[in-house]
Amino acid sequence: MKVRRREAAVALALAAVLAVGCSNKHVSRIEPDTVTDLSGAWNDTDSRLVANALIEQSLTDPWLSRYTTAHGGSTPTVIVGSFRNRSSEHIPVNTFVNDLENAYINSGAVTVVASDAERDQIRAERDDQQEFARADTRARLGQELGANYVLQGELSSLEDEESTTYLGATRNEKIVFYQVDARLVDLESNAVVWSGQHKIKKYIERKPFGL
Amino acid sequence: MNRYLMLGSLLVLVACVPKKVDEQPIIENNQRVPDASATVAAASAQAERDRAAAADAREDIQAEALVDCAPEICDAVVRGELAIGMNEVQVLAATRTTEDAWAIRKAGPSMVMAPGDERVVPSDFVGNVAMVQLADNRVSRYAYTESQGVRMVEDPADATTEGRAAALADQLEREGDEFAARGDLDAALDRYDRVSVLVPTDPMIDYKIAAVLDKALRPYEALIQYQLFLHRLNLETIEAEGAAAAQLAEAIALAQQRIVILERQTR
Repeated sequence: MKVRRREAAVALALAAVLAVGCSNKHVSRIEPDTVTDLSGAWNDTDSRLVANALIEQSLTDPWLSRYTTAHGGSTPTVIVGSFRNRSSEHIPVNTFVNDLENAYINSGAVTVVASDAERDQIRAERDDQQEFARADTRARLGQELGANYVLQGELSSLEDEESTTYLGATRNEKIVFYQVDARLVDLESNAVVWSGQHKIKKYIERKPFGL
Repeated sequence: MNRYLMLGSLLVLVACVPKKVDEQPIIENNQRVPDASATVAAASAQAERDRAAAADAREDIQAEALVDCAPEICDAVVRGELAIGMNEVQVLAATRTTEDAWAIRKAGPSMVMAPGDERVVPSDFVGNVAMVQLADNRVSRYAYTESQGVRMVEDPADATTEGRAAALADQLEREGDEFAARGDLDAALDRYDRVSVLVPTDPMIDYKIAAVLDKALRPYEALIQYQLFLHRLNLETIEAEGAAAAQLAEAIALAQQRIVILERQTR
Protein backbone atom coordinates (compact mmCIF):
# COMPACT_ATOMS: atom_id res chain seq x y z
CA MET A 1 0.00 0.00 0.00
CA LYS A 2 2.88 2.26 0.95
CA VAL A 3 4.71 1.44 -2.29
CA ARG A 4 1.62 2.20 -4.35
CA ARG A 5 1.26 5.58 -2.67
CA ARG A 6 4.91 6.42 -3.41
CA GLU A 7 4.47 5.40 -7.07
CA ALA A 8 1.45 7.63 -7.31
CA ALA A 9 3.39 10.57 -5.86
CA VAL A 10 6.27 10.03 -8.30
CA ALA A 11 3.84 9.78 -11.22
CA LEU A 12 2.15 12.99 -10.10
CA ALA A 13 5.47 14.82 -9.81
CA LEU A 14 6.49 13.57 -13.26
CA ALA A 15 3.21 14.69 -14.72
CA ALA A 16 3.68 18.13 -13.17
CA VAL A 17 7.22 18.43 -14.60
CA LEU A 18 5.95 17.36 -18.03
CA ALA A 19 3.09 19.84 -17.85
CA VAL A 20 5.49 22.65 -17.07
CA GLY A 21 7.96 21.45 -19.71
CA CYS A 22 5.31 21.35 -22.40
CA SER A 23 3.85 24.66 -21.35
CA ASN A 24 2.27 27.19 -23.58
CA LYS A 25 5.11 29.32 -25.01
CA HIS A 26 5.25 29.01 -28.77
CA VAL A 27 7.10 31.41 -31.03
CA SER A 28 6.88 31.35 -34.79
CA ARG A 29 7.90 33.72 -37.55
CA ILE A 30 4.95 34.79 -39.66
CA GLU A 31 4.60 37.01 -42.71
CA PRO A 32 4.73 40.69 -41.72
CA ASP A 33 1.67 41.45 -43.83
CA THR A 34 -0.51 38.92 -42.00
CA VAL A 35 -3.34 40.42 -40.02
CA THR A 36 -2.87 39.40 -36.39
CA ASP A 37 -5.25 41.15 -34.04
CA LEU A 38 -4.85 40.13 -30.41
CA SER A 39 -5.98 42.82 -28.00
CA GLY A 40 -7.64 45.20 -30.44
CA ALA A 41 -5.12 47.94 -29.76
CA TRP A 42 -3.25 49.76 -32.58
CA ASN A 43 -0.93 47.29 -34.28
CA ASP A 44 1.19 46.64 -37.37
CA THR A 45 -1.87 46.05 -39.54
CA ASP A 46 -3.23 49.50 -38.75
CA SER A 47 0.14 51.05 -39.43
CA ARG A 48 0.37 49.26 -42.76
CA LEU A 49 -3.16 50.23 -43.78
CA VAL A 50 -2.45 53.87 -42.98
CA ALA A 51 0.87 53.79 -44.83
CA ASN A 52 -0.72 52.20 -47.91
CA ALA A 53 -3.54 54.73 -47.99
CA LEU A 54 -1.24 57.74 -47.56
CA ILE A 55 1.21 56.45 -50.19
CA GLU A 56 -1.62 55.90 -52.67
CA GLN A 57 -3.18 59.31 -52.00
CA SER A 58 0.10 61.19 -51.97
CA LEU A 59 1.72 59.70 -55.06
CA THR A 60 -1.36 59.91 -57.25
CA ASP A 61 -2.40 63.44 -56.27
CA PRO A 62 -1.83 66.25 -58.82
CA TRP A 63 0.40 68.22 -56.41
CA LEU A 64 3.36 66.27 -57.79
CA SER A 65 2.69 66.95 -61.46
CA ARG A 66 1.89 70.59 -60.69
CA TYR A 67 5.33 71.02 -59.15
CA THR A 68 7.25 69.18 -61.86
CA THR A 69 5.42 71.09 -64.60
CA ALA A 70 6.24 74.45 -63.03
CA HIS A 71 9.87 73.50 -62.45
CA GLY A 72 10.88 71.95 -65.75
CA GLY A 73 10.61 68.35 -64.55
CA SER A 74 12.47 68.81 -61.24
CA THR A 75 11.11 66.79 -58.37
CA PRO A 76 9.86 68.50 -55.21
CA THR A 77 11.99 68.24 -52.08
CA VAL A 78 10.20 67.19 -48.93
CA ILE A 79 11.27 67.14 -45.32
CA VAL A 80 9.44 64.97 -42.82
CA GLY A 81 8.30 67.16 -39.97
CA SER A 82 6.36 66.30 -36.87
CA PHE A 83 3.66 63.65 -36.72
CA ARG A 84 1.77 63.94 -33.46
CA ASN A 85 0.03 61.15 -31.67
CA ARG A 86 -3.10 62.65 -30.12
CA SER A 87 -4.71 59.32 -29.37
CA SER A 88 -5.12 57.76 -25.96
CA GLU A 89 -2.71 54.93 -26.83
CA HIS A 90 1.03 54.86 -27.09
CA ILE A 91 1.48 54.63 -30.84
CA PRO A 92 4.86 54.80 -32.56
CA VAL A 93 3.88 56.89 -35.59
CA ASN A 94 7.31 56.40 -37.17
CA THR A 95 6.27 53.04 -38.61
CA PHE A 96 3.86 54.46 -41.17
CA VAL A 97 5.71 57.78 -41.55
CA ASN A 98 8.85 55.84 -42.49
CA ASP A 99 6.82 53.73 -44.94
CA LEU A 100 5.63 56.92 -46.59
CA GLU A 101 9.15 58.34 -46.65
CA ASN A 102 10.48 55.11 -48.20
CA ALA A 103 7.77 55.22 -50.85
CA TYR A 104 8.75 58.81 -51.73
CA ILE A 105 12.42 57.87 -52.01
CA ASN A 106 11.88 54.64 -53.91
CA SER A 107 9.43 56.16 -56.37
CA GLY A 108 11.97 58.81 -57.35
CA ALA A 109 9.06 61.21 -57.69
CA VAL A 110 9.99 63.11 -54.53
CA THR A 111 13.37 64.04 -53.09
CA VAL A 112 13.48 63.60 -49.32
CA VAL A 113 15.96 65.49 -47.17
CA ALA A 114 17.05 64.43 -43.71
CA SER A 115 14.93 65.54 -40.79
CA ASP A 116 16.23 67.98 -38.18
CA ALA A 117 17.50 65.30 -35.79
CA GLU A 118 19.34 63.48 -38.59
CA ARG A 119 20.75 66.74 -39.93
CA ASP A 120 22.45 67.58 -36.64
CA GLN A 121 24.36 64.32 -36.75
CA ILE A 122 25.32 64.75 -40.40
CA ARG A 123 26.45 68.34 -39.86
CA ALA A 124 28.61 67.28 -36.93
CA GLU A 125 30.23 64.65 -39.12
CA ARG A 126 30.78 67.17 -41.93
CA ASP A 127 32.32 69.67 -39.52
CA ASP A 128 34.55 66.90 -38.29
CA GLN A 129 35.70 66.19 -41.83
CA GLN A 130 36.76 69.82 -42.35
CA GLU A 131 39.38 69.31 -39.67
CA PHE A 132 40.39 65.69 -39.99
CA ALA A 133 39.64 64.44 -43.51
CA ARG A 134 41.97 64.66 -46.51
CA ALA A 135 41.20 67.80 -48.53
CA ASP A 136 40.09 65.97 -51.69
CA THR A 137 37.70 63.74 -49.77
CA ARG A 138 36.01 66.37 -47.62
CA ALA A 139 32.27 66.88 -47.93
CA ARG A 140 31.82 70.50 -48.95
CA LEU A 141 29.91 72.94 -46.82
CA GLY A 142 26.87 74.88 -47.97
CA GLN A 143 25.64 72.21 -50.39
CA GLU A 144 22.53 71.13 -48.51
CA LEU A 145 19.24 70.91 -50.37
CA GLY A 146 16.50 73.21 -49.14
CA ALA A 147 13.11 71.58 -48.83
CA ASN A 148 10.08 72.90 -50.70
CA TYR A 149 7.52 71.16 -48.52
CA VAL A 150 7.18 69.85 -44.97
CA LEU A 151 5.23 66.69 -44.31
CA GLN A 152 3.23 67.01 -41.10
CA GLY A 153 0.39 65.15 -39.54
CA GLU A 154 -1.36 63.75 -36.56
CA LEU A 155 -3.13 60.65 -35.35
CA SER A 156 -6.28 60.98 -33.28
CA SER A 157 -8.58 58.41 -31.78
CA LEU A 158 -12.06 58.15 -30.31
CA GLU A 159 -13.34 55.34 -28.12
CA ASP A 160 -16.72 54.13 -27.07
CA GLU A 161 -17.30 51.08 -24.89
CA GLU A 162 -19.99 49.31 -22.96
CA SER A 163 -20.20 46.30 -20.64
CA THR A 164 -23.38 44.30 -20.14
CA THR A 165 -23.72 41.71 -17.40
CA TYR A 166 -26.30 38.99 -17.71
CA LEU A 167 -26.57 36.11 -15.26
CA GLY A 168 -23.15 37.00 -13.83
CA ALA A 169 -21.43 36.95 -17.22
CA THR A 170 -20.05 40.20 -18.62
CA ARG A 171 -19.99 41.06 -22.27
CA ASN A 172 -17.65 43.93 -23.29
CA GLU A 173 -17.97 45.82 -26.50
CA LYS A 174 -15.68 48.59 -27.66
CA ILE A 175 -15.41 50.79 -30.69
CA VAL A 176 -12.09 52.45 -31.45
CA PHE A 177 -11.84 54.98 -34.23
CA TYR A 178 -8.47 56.15 -35.51
CA GLN A 179 -7.99 59.05 -37.87
CA VAL A 180 -4.64 59.82 -39.43
CA ASP A 181 -4.23 63.14 -41.20
CA ALA A 182 -1.16 64.03 -43.20
CA ARG A 183 -0.44 67.23 -45.09
CA LEU A 184 2.28 68.74 -47.18
CA VAL A 185 2.84 72.39 -46.43
CA ASP A 186 4.67 74.78 -48.75
CA LEU A 187 7.64 76.16 -46.82
CA GLU A 188 7.42 79.58 -48.46
CA SER A 189 3.72 80.25 -48.51
CA ASN A 190 2.37 77.91 -45.80
CA ALA A 191 -0.14 76.68 -48.39
CA VAL A 192 -1.26 73.10 -47.86
CA VAL A 193 -0.57 71.52 -51.24
CA TRP A 194 -1.74 68.03 -50.37
CA SER A 195 -3.80 66.59 -47.58
CA GLY A 196 -4.31 62.88 -47.02
CA GLN A 197 -6.45 61.05 -44.54
CA HIS A 198 -7.14 57.51 -43.48
CA LYS A 199 -9.72 56.28 -40.99
CA ILE A 200 -9.87 52.95 -39.21
CA LYS A 201 -12.83 51.82 -37.14
CA LYS A 202 -12.53 48.72 -34.99
CA TYR A 203 -15.23 46.79 -33.21
CA ILE A 204 -13.84 44.78 -30.31
CA GLU A 205 -16.14 42.33 -28.59
CA ARG A 206 -15.33 40.14 -25.59
CA LYS A 207 -18.00 37.54 -25.01
CA PRO A 208 -18.29 35.66 -21.71
CA PHE A 209 -17.09 32.04 -21.74
CA GLY A 210 -15.94 32.39 -25.33
CA LEU A 211 -19.53 32.36 -26.56
CA MET B 1 -52.41 37.74 -16.83
CA ASN B 2 -49.08 36.07 -16.17
CA ARG B 3 -48.61 35.56 -19.88
CA TYR B 4 -49.00 39.32 -20.54
CA LEU B 5 -46.61 40.13 -17.70
CA MET B 6 -43.99 37.79 -19.14
CA LEU B 7 -44.43 39.19 -22.64
CA GLY B 8 -44.10 42.74 -21.30
CA SER B 9 -40.94 41.85 -19.36
CA LEU B 10 -39.48 40.25 -22.44
CA LEU B 11 -40.19 43.36 -24.51
CA VAL B 12 -38.57 45.58 -21.87
CA LEU B 13 -35.56 43.27 -21.75
CA VAL B 14 -35.19 43.34 -25.53
CA ALA B 15 -35.54 47.11 -25.60
CA CYS B 16 -32.79 47.50 -23.00
CA VAL B 17 -30.34 45.27 -24.76
CA PRO B 18 -27.58 47.37 -26.42
CA LYS B 19 -27.72 47.73 -30.14
CA LYS B 20 -25.78 45.02 -31.88
CA VAL B 21 -23.16 45.93 -34.43
CA ASP B 22 -23.96 44.04 -37.61
CA GLU B 23 -21.38 45.54 -39.95
CA GLN B 24 -19.31 43.02 -41.87
CA PRO B 25 -15.57 43.22 -41.13
CA ILE B 26 -13.48 44.48 -44.04
CA ILE B 27 -10.34 42.66 -42.97
CA GLU B 28 -9.93 39.81 -40.51
CA ASN B 29 -7.27 37.82 -38.74
CA ASN B 30 -4.94 35.78 -40.95
CA GLN B 31 -5.80 37.77 -44.05
CA ARG B 32 -3.04 39.70 -45.82
CA VAL B 33 -2.74 43.47 -45.91
CA PRO B 34 -2.38 44.64 -49.51
CA ASP B 35 0.99 45.99 -50.55
CA ALA B 36 1.68 49.54 -51.75
CA SER B 37 4.58 48.51 -53.95
CA ALA B 38 2.43 48.63 -57.12
CA THR B 39 1.56 52.28 -56.40
CA VAL B 40 5.21 53.10 -55.76
CA ALA B 41 6.29 51.31 -58.94
CA ALA B 42 3.67 53.16 -61.01
CA ALA B 43 4.73 56.50 -59.53
CA SER B 44 8.35 55.65 -60.14
CA ALA B 45 7.72 54.80 -63.81
CA GLN B 46 5.69 57.98 -64.31
CA ALA B 47 8.38 60.10 -62.60
CA GLU B 48 11.05 58.56 -64.80
CA ARG B 49 9.05 59.25 -67.98
CA ASP B 50 8.36 62.84 -66.89
CA ARG B 51 11.98 63.41 -65.95
CA ALA B 52 13.28 62.04 -69.26
CA ALA B 53 10.83 64.15 -71.28
CA ALA B 54 11.61 67.29 -69.26
CA ALA B 55 15.36 66.68 -69.46
CA ASP B 56 15.17 66.39 -73.27
CA ALA B 57 13.12 69.56 -73.53
CA ARG B 58 15.44 71.46 -71.18
CA GLU B 59 18.56 70.35 -73.01
CA ASP B 60 17.12 71.64 -76.28
CA ILE B 61 16.12 74.90 -74.64
CA GLN B 62 19.55 75.39 -73.03
CA ALA B 63 21.35 74.68 -76.29
CA GLU B 64 19.15 77.09 -78.26
CA ALA B 65 19.35 79.75 -75.55
CA LEU B 66 23.13 79.81 -75.55
CA VAL B 67 23.57 80.03 -79.32
CA ASP B 68 24.58 83.53 -80.40
CA CYS B 69 23.64 85.22 -77.14
CA ALA B 70 25.20 88.45 -75.94
CA PRO B 71 27.77 87.85 -73.16
CA GLU B 72 25.65 89.43 -70.40
CA ILE B 73 22.58 87.44 -71.51
CA CYS B 74 24.60 84.21 -71.65
CA ASP B 75 25.95 84.92 -68.15
CA ALA B 76 22.42 85.51 -66.87
CA VAL B 77 21.16 82.27 -68.46
CA VAL B 78 24.00 80.29 -66.89
CA ARG B 79 23.43 81.94 -63.50
CA GLY B 80 19.70 81.21 -63.82
CA GLU B 81 18.58 84.84 -63.66
CA LEU B 82 16.19 86.74 -65.88
CA ALA B 83 17.54 89.76 -67.70
CA ILE B 84 16.22 92.54 -69.89
CA GLY B 85 16.80 91.68 -73.56
CA MET B 86 16.38 87.91 -73.29
CA ASN B 87 14.22 86.12 -75.83
CA GLU B 88 11.51 83.60 -74.98
CA VAL B 89 13.79 80.57 -75.12
CA GLN B 90 16.35 82.31 -72.93
CA VAL B 91 13.62 83.05 -70.38
CA LEU B 92 12.78 79.35 -70.29
CA ALA B 93 16.47 78.48 -69.96
CA ALA B 94 17.08 81.03 -67.19
CA THR B 95 14.10 79.81 -65.18
CA ARG B 96 14.96 76.13 -65.90
CA THR B 97 11.42 75.57 -67.12
CA THR B 98 9.63 74.46 -70.25
CA GLU B 99 6.63 76.07 -71.97
CA ASP B 100 4.32 73.90 -69.85
CA ALA B 101 5.10 76.06 -66.81
CA TRP B 102 3.78 79.23 -68.42
CA ALA B 103 0.55 80.70 -69.66
CA ILE B 104 1.74 82.56 -72.75
CA ARG B 105 -0.39 85.24 -74.37
CA LYS B 106 0.61 86.93 -77.59
CA ALA B 107 -0.81 90.13 -79.03
CA GLY B 108 1.00 91.34 -82.11
CA PRO B 109 4.66 91.95 -81.35
CA SER B 110 4.19 91.78 -77.60
CA MET B 111 3.92 88.69 -75.49
CA VAL B 112 3.26 88.09 -71.80
CA MET B 113 4.41 85.01 -69.92
CA ALA B 114 2.58 84.42 -66.65
CA PRO B 115 2.79 81.37 -64.35
CA GLY B 116 0.68 78.52 -65.72
CA ASP B 117 -0.46 77.64 -62.22
CA GLU B 118 -0.66 80.32 -59.55
CA ARG B 119 -0.14 77.69 -56.83
CA VAL B 120 3.31 76.67 -58.06
CA VAL B 121 4.99 79.56 -59.81
CA PRO B 122 8.22 79.31 -61.82
CA SER B 123 11.24 80.99 -60.32
CA ASP B 124 14.71 82.06 -61.28
CA PHE B 125 17.70 82.32 -58.95
CA VAL B 126 16.44 85.66 -57.57
CA GLY B 127 12.84 84.82 -56.75
CA ASN B 128 9.39 83.73 -57.83
CA VAL B 129 8.53 85.20 -61.21
CA ALA B 130 5.15 86.92 -61.42
CA MET B 131 5.28 87.96 -65.07
CA VAL B 132 7.60 88.41 -68.04
CA GLN B 133 6.73 90.84 -70.80
CA LEU B 134 8.39 90.63 -74.19
CA ALA B 135 8.29 93.10 -77.06
CA ASP B 136 9.54 91.87 -80.43
CA ASN B 137 10.69 88.67 -78.68
CA ARG B 138 12.91 90.57 -76.23
CA VAL B 139 12.19 90.90 -72.52
CA SER B 140 11.15 94.48 -71.85
CA ARG B 141 10.09 94.07 -68.22
CA TYR B 142 9.55 91.34 -65.69
CA ALA B 143 8.28 91.11 -62.13
CA TYR B 144 8.96 89.11 -58.99
CA THR B 145 6.56 88.27 -56.20
CA GLU B 146 8.36 89.35 -53.04
CA SER B 147 7.53 89.76 -49.38
CA GLN B 148 6.65 93.45 -49.81
CA GLY B 149 4.65 92.93 -53.00
CA VAL B 150 5.40 92.69 -56.71
CA ARG B 151 8.75 94.14 -57.79
CA MET B 152 9.12 95.27 -61.37
CA VAL B 153 12.38 95.17 -63.28
CA GLU B 154 12.28 97.50 -66.27
CA ASP B 155 15.91 98.40 -66.55
CA PRO B 156 19.14 96.41 -66.05
CA ALA B 157 19.91 98.72 -63.11
CA ASP B 158 16.72 97.50 -61.35
CA ALA B 159 18.14 93.97 -61.33
CA THR B 160 21.33 94.93 -59.46
CA THR B 161 21.64 94.60 -55.69
CA GLU B 162 21.29 98.37 -55.34
CA GLY B 163 18.27 98.44 -57.63
CA ARG B 164 16.61 95.67 -55.66
CA ALA B 165 17.37 97.43 -52.35
CA ALA B 166 15.91 100.67 -53.71
CA ALA B 167 12.73 98.89 -54.85
CA LEU B 168 12.37 97.12 -51.52
CA ALA B 169 13.00 100.37 -49.64
CA ASP B 170 10.33 102.06 -51.72
CA GLN B 171 7.81 99.33 -50.88
CA LEU B 172 8.74 99.44 -47.18
CA GLU B 173 8.46 103.23 -47.07
CA ARG B 174 4.99 103.00 -48.57
CA GLU B 175 4.02 100.47 -45.91
CA GLY B 176 5.48 102.75 -43.22
CA ASP B 177 3.43 105.67 -44.54
CA GLU B 178 0.28 103.54 -44.39
CA PHE B 179 0.99 102.52 -40.79
CA ALA B 180 1.72 106.12 -39.83
CA ALA B 181 -1.58 107.22 -41.41
CA ARG B 182 -3.40 104.52 -39.44
CA GLY B 183 -1.72 105.69 -36.24
CA ASP B 184 0.35 102.53 -35.70
CA LEU B 185 3.54 104.42 -34.93
CA ASP B 186 5.56 101.38 -33.78
CA ALA B 187 4.93 99.54 -37.05
CA ALA B 188 5.64 102.70 -39.06
CA LEU B 189 8.94 103.18 -37.20
CA ASP B 190 9.86 99.55 -37.83
CA ARG B 191 9.36 99.97 -41.61
CA TYR B 192 11.26 103.30 -41.73
CA ASP B 193 14.11 101.75 -39.72
CA ARG B 194 14.34 98.95 -42.27
CA VAL B 195 14.34 101.48 -45.10
CA SER B 196 17.20 103.38 -43.45
CA VAL B 197 19.25 100.16 -43.49
CA LEU B 198 18.57 99.56 -47.20
CA VAL B 199 19.01 103.21 -48.26
CA PRO B 200 21.17 104.77 -45.55
CA THR B 201 21.59 108.16 -47.20
CA ASP B 202 17.98 109.21 -47.73
CA PRO B 203 17.33 112.32 -45.55
CA MET B 204 13.55 112.03 -45.97
CA ILE B 205 13.60 108.73 -44.11
CA ASP B 206 15.47 110.39 -41.25
CA TYR B 207 12.83 113.09 -41.24
CA LYS B 208 10.01 110.52 -41.18
CA ILE B 209 11.70 108.60 -38.36
CA ALA B 210 12.12 111.86 -36.43
CA ALA B 211 8.48 112.80 -36.99
CA VAL B 212 7.22 109.38 -35.85
CA LEU B 213 9.44 109.48 -32.74
CA ASP B 214 8.20 113.00 -32.06
CA LYS B 215 4.57 111.87 -32.32
CA ALA B 216 5.32 108.84 -30.16
CA LEU B 217 6.51 111.23 -27.42
CA ARG B 218 10.13 110.11 -27.57
CA PRO B 219 11.71 113.61 -27.65
CA TYR B 220 15.37 112.71 -27.10
CA GLU B 221 15.46 110.25 -30.00
CA ALA B 222 13.36 112.60 -32.15
CA LEU B 223 15.80 115.43 -31.50
CA ILE B 224 18.75 113.29 -32.62
CA GLN B 225 16.89 112.22 -35.76
CA TYR B 226 15.92 115.81 -36.67
CA GLN B 227 19.54 116.86 -36.27
CA LEU B 228 20.67 113.88 -38.33
CA PHE B 229 18.18 114.87 -41.02
CA LEU B 230 19.52 118.43 -41.21
CA HIS B 231 23.11 117.21 -41.13
CA ARG B 232 22.49 114.74 -43.94
CA LEU B 233 20.64 117.40 -45.86
CA ASN B 234 23.63 119.70 -45.56
CA LEU B 235 25.77 116.96 -47.04
CA GLU B 236 23.27 116.50 -49.79
CA THR B 237 23.02 120.17 -50.57
CA ILE B 238 26.77 120.27 -50.92
CA GLU B 239 26.47 117.48 -53.46
CA ALA B 240 23.47 118.83 -55.33
CA GLU B 241 22.85 122.40 -54.40
CA GLY B 242 19.39 123.76 -54.96
CA ALA B 243 17.12 121.02 -56.20
CA ALA B 244 17.08 118.81 -53.13
CA ALA B 245 16.89 121.76 -50.76
CA ALA B 246 14.02 123.26 -52.72
CA GLN B 247 12.06 120.02 -52.60
CA LEU B 248 12.68 119.61 -48.91
CA ALA B 249 12.24 123.23 -47.89
CA GLU B 250 9.12 122.56 -45.90
CA ALA B 251 10.63 119.58 -44.13
CA ILE B 252 13.72 121.65 -43.24
CA ALA B 253 11.62 124.42 -41.76
CA LEU B 254 9.55 121.94 -39.75
CA ALA B 255 12.61 120.08 -38.50
CA GLN B 256 14.30 123.29 -37.35
CA GLN B 257 11.11 124.34 -35.62
CA ARG B 258 10.78 121.01 -33.82
CA ILE B 259 14.44 121.08 -32.76
CA VAL B 260 13.90 124.41 -31.04
CA ILE B 261 10.78 123.12 -29.27
CA LEU B 262 12.28 119.78 -28.29
CA GLU B 263 15.48 121.36 -27.02
CA ARG B 264 13.41 123.57 -24.77
CA GLN B 265 11.34 120.62 -23.58
CA THR B 266 14.28 118.38 -22.85
CA ARG B 267 16.30 120.98 -20.99
